[in-house]
Amino acid sequence: MHITRVEATPKSGPGLRDVRGDVVRRQLSADHNLDFSSVKTIVGFLINSDVSHEEIAARADDLFADPIIEHSITNHSFLGNREIFSETPDAVVSVGFKPGVTDNPGKAALDGFRTIFPEATPESDISTYITYLFYGMPQNTSTEWLSSTLYNNLIQRSFVTEGEMCNSGNWLMIDYPEKPPQEFKTPAHINLEISNEQLIDISETGLLALNLTEMQAIQQHYRNPEIRQLRQSAGIVEDKPTDVELECLAQTWSEHCKHKIFASKIHHTDLETGEQAVIDSIFKTHIMKPTHDMQNDVDWLLSVFHDNSGVIAWDDEWSVCMKAETHNSPSALDPYGGAMTGIVGVNRDILGTGLGARPIANTDVFCFGPPDWQGEIPDNLFHPSRVLRGVHAGVRVGGNESGIPTINGAIVFDERYLGKPLVYCGTVGLMPRKLPDGRESHIKTPSAGDVVFMVGGRVGYDGIHGATFSSLELTEESPSSAVQIGDPITQKKMIDMILEARDLGLISCITDNGAGGLSSSIGEMAEYTNGCRIDLAKVPLKQPGLSPWEILVSESQERMTVSVKPEDVAAFEKLALLHEVEASPVAEFTSTGIFHVQYEQSTVAYLPIEFLHDGVPQLELESEWKIPEHKPFNPPQTADHNTILTDLLARPNIASKESWVRQYDHEVIAQTVVKPFVGVKRDGPADAGVIAPIHGNPRGLVVSCGIAPRYSDIDAGAMAAAAIDEAVRNAVCVGVDVDKIAGLDNFCWPDPIESEKTPDGKFKLAQLVRANRELERICRAYRLPCVSGKDSMKNDYGKGPNKISIPPTLLFSLFGDHPDVRNSATSDLKHPGDKLYLVGESLEELGASELAFMMTESGQAAGIGGNVPLLTDPERLFSSYRALSKAINSGVVKTAHDCSEGGLGVALAEMCIGGRIGAKIDIDGTGKTSTWARLWGESLGRIIIAVSAQNNAKFLELMTGHTTTLLGEVEATTQLSIVDGFDELISIEVNDLVTSWQGTLDLTGGVA
Amino acid sequence: MYIPKVAVLFGFGINCDHETAAVFEMVGGESTRVHLNSFISGEDELSNYDILAVPGGFSFGDHLGSGRLMGNRMRFSLRDELLNFIKSGKPIIGICNGFQVLVKTGLLPGPDNNEPDFIQRASLTLNDSGRYEDRWVTLDFNKDSNCIWTKGLTRIDCPVRHGEGKYVMPDAESLANLANNNQITVRYVDPQNPQSDNNNDEVLPFPLSPNGSMMNIAGISDKTGLVFGLMPHPEAIYAQWLHPDFSRGGAPASTTDIQWEGQGLQIFRNAVEYIQSTH
Repeated sequence: MHITRVEATPKSGPGLRDVRGDVVRRQLSADHNLDFSSVKTIVGFLINSDVSHEEIAARADDLFADPIIEHSITNHSFLGNREIFSETPDAVVSVGFKPGVTDNPGKAALDGFRTIFPEATPESDISTYITYLFYGMPQNTSTEWLSSTLYNNLIQRSFVTEGEMCNSGNWLMIDYPEKPPQEFKTPAHINLEISNEQLIDISETGLLALNLTEMQAIQQHYRNPEIRQLRQSAGIVEDKPTDVELECLAQTWSEHCKHKIFASKIHHTDLETGEQAVIDSIFKTHIMKPTHDMQNDVDWLLSVFHDNSGVIAWDDEWSVCMKAETHNSPSALDPYGGAMTGIVGVNRDILGTGLGARPIANTDVFCFGPPDWQGEIPDNLFHPSRVLRGVHAGVRVGGNESGIPTINGAIVFDERYLGKPLVYCGTVGLMPRKLPDGRESHIKTPSAGDVVFMVGGRVGYDGIHGATFSSLELTEESPSSAVQIGDPITQKKMIDMILEARDLGLISCITDNGAGGLSSSIGEMAEYTNGCRIDLAKVPLKQPGLSPWEILVSESQERMTVSVKPEDVAAFEKLALLHEVEASPVAEFTSTGIFHVQYEQSTVAYLPIEFLHDGVPQLELESEWKIPEHKPFNPPQTADHNTILTDLLARPNIASKESWVRQYDHEVIAQTVVKPFVGVKRDGPADAGVIAPIHGNPRGLVVSCGIAPRYSDIDAGAMAAAAIDEAVRNAVCVGVDVDKIAGLDNFCWPDPIESEKTPDGKFKLAQLVRANRELERICRAYRLPCVSGKDSMKNDYGKGPNKISIPPTLLFSLFGDHPDVRNSATSDLKHPGDKLYLVGESLEELGASELAFMMTESGQAAGIGGNVPLLTDPERLFSSYRALSKAINSGVVKTAHDCSEGGLGVALAEMCIGGRIGAKIDIDGTGKTSTWARLWGESLGRIIIAVSAQNNAKFLELMTGHTTTLLGEVEATTQLSIVDGFDELISIEVNDLVTSWQGTLDLTGGVA
Repeated sequence: MYIPKVAVLFGFGINCDHETAAVFEMVGGESTRVHLNSFISGEDELSNYDILAVPGGFSFGDHLGSGRLMGNRMRFSLRDELLNFIKSGKPIIGICNGFQVLVKTGLLPGPDNNEPDFIQRASLTLNDSGRYEDRWVTLDFNKDSNCIWTKGLTRIDCPVRHGEGKYVMPDAESLANLANNNQITVRYVDPQNPQSDNNNDEVLPFPLSPNGSMMNIAGISDKTGLVFGLMPHPEAIYAQWLHPDFSRGGAPASTTDIQWEGQGLQIFRNAVEYIQSTH
């Protein structure tokens, strides 16, 4: 074995350019205002194999370089090569991966290497790097800083050559990242007969995230004489856990996996009303119970809560499912890898639903610090613009390479997300109601004796402790092993293979490997048959030497756990071979009642299934609500509403996200009817995604979301209600059938458990109580079952006075039926003469509005306090939604847009932008409130529609009994004019609206 | 009527296989999604099929250049089968990643004679913008082309979804030769310009040309007119409701019996009818 270096660099000539270099140059200009004269790049490969340098050199242009557009060189570097780079660069930075970090180009190169050199040793490996050559470097630019913008030292290495060293050709060359050997350790026995302080110490130093009560419950387990006897007969240490067992319990009992706060007993005090109450599990009381009640009324709720995603029957042939997850902590440390594993991870939840569903659509919602943040950045974290770029790239690559369209999402900005960005990733799945063998696809059918395969990627040191790590707050010392990079192509091959196996009837049970790795995936499935036996020595590893506990809990990506009947094993393995997917039998289901783990012949864990899953003690917590104090928002006496409108349109929370969203493939599968951007120039905002996934059939699905974290500053209950109403409004705007909608609740909260580091825990928990009470109230009124959800409860950075906690944030995602996609409405104004109406009513609700925040930040107002939008009569709103949905579905209404951030004013502006056409509006009569509240207020339940003169009467008839006010008319001009009776408020050119709306977040630096 | 058998390749990150199979079925073909390895292992034979489609996707993650590794697998493991397929007059289409694969295997644009030699003569490289984008473009078809796939087509709208769609050739002569042979089958065009842009070789500004392709090339065919590749996705406009102007009442209608048909379907119908005409 020896290392061969191969490099490739773009040729120059007419029409050819170094695009990678151009991108870096443009980004340095866009993000940092630094103008370099040029940036060139070299892509490098370090090949560790027994194939000679000469043989590799002879085939370099067959594999590593494209001879039409690239030069290649073998066993040398292009650095210092005067023929290619005639001028000396000012600085050179080479970036490669650290040992053991997933190197996707390297993996692909190795695959291609084997095609050309099939006789090469199986130990061959390839590592890749990119070298950047900087020319015309602006003065006072630090090369170290420049390098830091190009790599993340948690996962990558950088080699820098600068100044004189460049002139003398003394290049610092990147070398092959040799993996340090891992030391295999036989399982340790942990003595728990120690003091309480020592118990806590074990939990903290071992990153177990278990509290004292939980550590004591484990201690008690090993004191039980029956357990000791059982263990003796199994041949494992009787009176203490092995490290394998302790790690396994910590993962299974983690907040991440067990949702202990949502399951806790809460003693709730409301200082506003004097109410005292005990809530025995928020989840069971406010989420599960209402959904189960609704399950009695409809026949389409097939599977709720217990599987990897919630499943509803769509028609007689097909069912659909949806799941959303967060990947916040990993995305804070490595935005690219963290976000990519977020999206490909939730895709696996869909693949692991029932007997396997096909992912057909992605959604993503991000919450970041302000992209133009000028203040300090906490240690170990990145500037929000870099987080945005990295997260976006990770989700883009993960979704696009998997062939799943991204059809809906949002990006929200608030200073407090500096401490932890929120990265919500959702996926919709489709499956036939019945498999060819007659089984219903949403029901898993495992039995004792089934062989359990691990399918897909291998297990490595990367991804250890993700579940427990995300159950702690971020600190400067957060571990790098919790960060990973996804490998979408390995996963795509696995998805192809598993869906074929499903249709061949080869799968009896399936789940994904996410948090907690094999310990969770096999552990959860073993509940069905009441037992399993795993042999960790059979698990394929990325590198030898991993210890048993590491193999069991590692969260290495791209793995599914699939059980197969013994008679189907051969067929399953043959299919894996065809798809070049690794599938290894690592366990079998039993009915012994025991989670039994062996390493070869020796038993390394022996835990009763019941204790593993139900042994965790219920938390008891206290919550206390009092009204937060804010200075009231009072708008100024006079104002220039034209300027307010353009300023609001430019606010990051409102501004167009098109330059980011267009980089997602939103049309693969040839099903997307309402795309993320609509209108004449396809750049107006869509309210929801609409897809018609069965080719040739216009029956559709609607996917939408709602999020309103600012309202938490006044009342987290109002925040939750607003998020749900927004998701429903968005879906109504495109024509969803309101009688067949289902929701997902994804809560992201700051730590709500009162402690030394969280003195305001009682208040944060009270916010959670209020949010869930509103969730139940609104969902019942809207007949909207929550079929799946997730919570992430430790979204804080640091401790003490510098602690940053996120605003309590609920993302509500919705999916529902669309009877015929040909009757979808979009937000863009269409034809002059169309009448505009407001459905719903404006109330005096400017508290925590985007306007209040904007004017408070600029000093024009004293604070954001006041009435936050409330849903006082959701039943009434819902009946107007039903009427409007009917009007859209009958083809009467082709234009609808919801009012949210920035209220009526911003919504109308967006509709004009989409249609590139003007409108004449009078807001008189839209509510008994101030002009400010009617123009900029964010009262819920409001939708603006446009209807042709021809359909006007029919529309009014359909809306009889619902608050519907004429606003005005679409005009054959390019002017938006808004008056309030005799008062002129706004008169502005549509092109000025476009400029304001599109400028803020286009950070691409153009195309030149 | 003979029902042509269509092999739609998949595996290794191809991801438009479902819709590509579906559109051939809509126009009277019988589609089978075939894993590339089934052909390489001999479990299935390419010669069992009348039409080969290499769909879009991200084979091998586009690492080492889009279509490269998939192209190599075909070039080194399926060479004789592909040669025989073309020699027996059977059509091949490559869409997006499939086009990249056909260019990297050397099947497109191919040599000046009709004997494929698997030598790469062109490339598809990173868009000038440096970005992967999904956006709609307007395409203009060469009426003098002998390509069997594009017969009768003049102009259609469809989406591009790629990061590496810039068509390049190493020198001006190769490009001129391609043009003289009428192998430049389809180009990006300014929809406001009613004239066919076939004489305009100046690269259109972004986003009319989404990638900066030389001579605004969106797709090419080989000398025989049987092998065709293009970066845009005609299968993604099989129905009018997929057109972005649909809710505005502006989706171009079809002239066929299928009332909701979109403009892209004709390409697939052409190949199916071509095979039917030879039976």
